[in-house]
Amino acid sequence: MRRSTLSALAALLAAAVAAPAGAQDAYRIGMSAAITGRAATTYAPTYEAYKVYFKRVNDAGGINGKKVEIEYEDDRGEPQRAAAAAKKLVEKSLLLVNASISATYKPFMTESETSKVPLLFGGGVCPREAFPPANPLIFCSTSFGSKWDSRFVLGFIKEQSAAKKVKIGFAAQDIPVSRLELEFAEQEAKAMGFDTIPVVVVPNAVADFTPFAQKLKDAGADWVFSWAPWPHEIGVFEALQRIGWKGNYILYGHQQTQDELARLKAPNLFPFGGNSLFIEGAPIHAEIASLVKGQSTLPAHHMSEGWVSAMVLEASLRACGWPCSREKLAKAMTTVTVDTKGLRGGPIEWTADNHYRKATFYKVYRWDPARNGIAAVGGWTRLDIK
Amino acid sequence: MAQVVATAVVLASFYALLGAGYVLVYRATRVLNLAQGDLMTLGGYLLFSVAVTVPGAPALAIPLASALAALAGFLIYRVLMRPMAGHPIFAAVLITMTLGILLRAAIVLVYTDQLRHPIGLLGLTNPPRPLPGGAVVSTFDLLTVLTAALLFAGLFLFLRLSPIGIQMRAAGERALLAAQRGINFHLIFALAWALASFAGALAGMLYANNVRLEPSLDVLGLKAFAVALVGGLDSLGGVLPAALLVALVEVLSVRYGDPLLADVSPFLCLLAMLLVRPWGLFGTKEELERV
Repeated sequence: MRRSTLSALAALLAAAVAAPAGAQDAYRIGMSAAITGRAATTYAPTYEAYKVYFKRVNDAGGINGKKVEIEYEDDRGEPQRAAAAAKKLVEKSLLLVNASISATYKPFMTESETSKVPLLFGGGVCPREAFPPANPLIFCSTSFGSKWDSRFVLGFIKEQSAAKKVKIGFAAQDIPVSRLELEFAEQEAKAMGFDTIPVVVVPNAVADFTPFAQKLKDAGADWVFSWAPWPHEIGVFEALQRIGWKGNYILYGHQQTQDELARLKAPNLFPFGGNSLFIEGAPIHAEIASLVKGQSTLPAHHMSEGWVSAMVLEASLRACGWPCSREKLAKAMTTVTVDTKGLRGGPIEWTADNHYRKATFYKVYRWDPARNGIAAVGGWTRLDIK
Repeated sequence: MAQVVATAVVLASFYALLGAGYVLVYRATRVLNLAQGDLMTLGGYLLFSVAVTVPGAPALAIPLASALAALAGFLIYRVLMRPMAGHPIFAAVLITMTLGILLRAAIVLVYTDQLRHPIGLLGLTNPPRPLPGGAVVSTFDLLTVLTAALLFAGLFLFLRLSPIGIQMRAAGERALLAAQRGINFHLIFALAWALASFAGALAGMLYANNVRLEPSLDVLGLKAFAVALVGGLDSLGGVLPAALLVALVEVLSVRYGDPLLADVSPFLCLLAMLLVRPWGLFGTKEELERV
């Protein structure tokens, strides 16, 4: 009896020891995203894209013969939930992915630093730690990045207005990243010789955007630049429309851009961004559309941001090989170059000190009444990141 | 200035529609309905669902969604609130809070977090409408003002002239006495919930067509809660001046002060009211003591 008890205990012990080894027989990734909550319209598509993308990867045999197992946490865009998610995910993950609002970044960066886990921002704005000189553990695949977006927009406005003197207004949401970016844009615009209107900050819970729009209209804005989550960006624009404003509005084109341009049919609305719209009909767009069909409730053209991030992650894991450790992965990521196949204007290329990309590309779209459809305003604009 | 006034009137009308729901339920049942913002969201999604089913038919979709919202309010009373009769009021308030959380979760599950615009499905447009003095508002802004005016006129007439309205007032004042006089106060309370849900749904449907529809619209309900308290929680008539006051402060703070004050201005109004006249503009002092 004693012998059988001891045997059973030994077997249990052996199983307990063997379990983690078995669990390591896959690339384990931890992802936290705002899958639900106010910010979900912007970030949930990244989560959906990851699910579809890595299902295909695993169905095809995985990477280097190993499956990719992703544990997902819904942080709802709330810092407290993000902190709990970061602590939970860091235990077993080779790499953490954050696809949420900037308020959730701090706990992830802390866990990344403490546990020496590489951290990929794939869907949320790229933090400064990804730009040169980059933090060795922080990487970013997101198409939008602070300061560079504003630099592009101001250059675009200058080009569009030719020699005409224009006045620019700025509409921010009351979140730090939006306010800081547009305050930066305001200063840059002044330096470039534009007339500017102080940044109008719109609170998070707002019933009516009209008073904010009125402030911009009354100040005589010819152009308004907004850089925030989509509901606030478009909320101010629609309120400006309602009160008969005739100026031009440029905003970051999040996942909803294609639907919203078609809905609003407003030729003075200029969404810009790093992702191409599916109206371009590139082979990659058709490929995503066929893969997403039946796998997600979201339309395929909401997936670009997450798809690029998933491509970058796959390339990083391939570069890491097997077995892959956190340290090895972080090092491998500094050598990654990903052909985005037309989802972006060029590749994502990381180096030892640049974890954003060596060059970033922007394109602007608008509703063209003559064609009764969406059209690109020019081609890709390349900005080199130094 | 004309634009400031026009914007304030539109915003006040929206708050009044929502605030009416708080007052109707409180007057009849003495329960603070903390799910009113979620009932507004539900109304918007009911319209969206009907519009998906019968696109391009606003004359059918809007009344049908309104009726469904009223039915939802009626059922909420029958299923959740009626069993709370005889229990402490705070338990019933907690039920409304839980109901709000559940409604939010259910909406996300069914409709996801995507932004929706039922106006397109209904085949309607929302062109700007110039007003005297140079102000411009949208068509749905005008409809919001018109709807609020009609709802309040209808409610005043209903409560003062119709037998059920008079019974509702009686049940609200002395439920036990009303029951002894043969008034079916459970039916009256259910009707109050139906009306509150209907008023909230009107706000939700108008907002969804004018701005957008998303699961987190419930936060706007908090601002209307401040309006109901400023007006006096047991005073339907108090909602209108309170809504106008709160909306005017909000619009002026954006126009002439810091736009961020817009977020807190309803609560600043509430705080000021609580310090000066805690029972609200037209509320009764005894009611406050009962609360």
